[in-house]
Amino acid sequence: MATEILSADAVRLGLTARDKEDALRQCGAVLVEIGAADPAYAEAILERERSVSTYMGEGVAIPHGTDESRDHIKRGALAFLQFPDGVDWNGKTAHVCIAIASRSDEHIGILQSLAMVLSDKESARRLRETTSVDEVLELLAPTDEEDDD
Amino acid sequence: MPTVNGSDVKKVVIACDAGMGSSVMVASTMKKKLKKYDVTVEHTPVNNIPPDTQVVLCHAGLAERAKGIAPEAVIVPFQVFMGDPAFAKVESAIKDGGTLES
Repeated sequence: MATEILSADAVRLGLTARDKEDALRQCGAVLVEIGAADPAYAEAILERERSVSTYMGEGVAIPHGTDESRDHIKRGALAFLQFPDGVDWNGKTAHVCIAIASRSDEHIGILQSLAMVLSDKESARRLRETTSVDEVLELLAPTDEEDDD
Repeated sequence: MPTVNGSDVKKVVIACDAGMGSSVMVASTMKKKLKKYDVTVEHTPVNNIPPDTQVVLCHAGLAERAKGIAPEAVIVPFQVFMGDPAFAKVESAIKDGGTLES
């Protein structure tokens, strides 16, 4: 039973998606499959994306539910879905979706690592193109920046 | 219109819809930039912006909602989550004591 926030079984490489909605549904399905969320949360991911895009830059989007949908989260977890052919994301191209199910701040270390990866073009490219689950886990290993002092 | 001088800013709040995705990412990069000026950076769902907040950074699509929740705060909207000029604007106002306004 995986208890890590991002576990190897939630890292899915080499996927394809017809379009953004298909990619979002796949994100929700993985979160449900790993026991992180209810199907209602997967629906909220679609709803949330309609308000403001979760595309972050460097080919990475971070889909997640709405504030109201938090009750449908069973445990804090992330899923990593890679689409090597890219998915049109309102005119941008997403190659990676990092789907978030979080009730509190358990995933912050990983998102901090992601912010660092995205500020470095070479690391961002590795995230988009890697065929190794271990490399993904390594790139996104939580930073231990407890506080800002 | 609320205004604040950058040198009086002690805390910057990054707001997004759910407070679990984009605001976390932005807060993480802003925290690094503002650390040396002794300014704390927090992230929150837009509906939970604390009433005493001086400066809110949020996506342009949420700016109106943020204004409704925190009418006293200076709301600085951004369009993109990485490298938006709004981030540099807040940083330089804090660094040089410039004025920020909604």
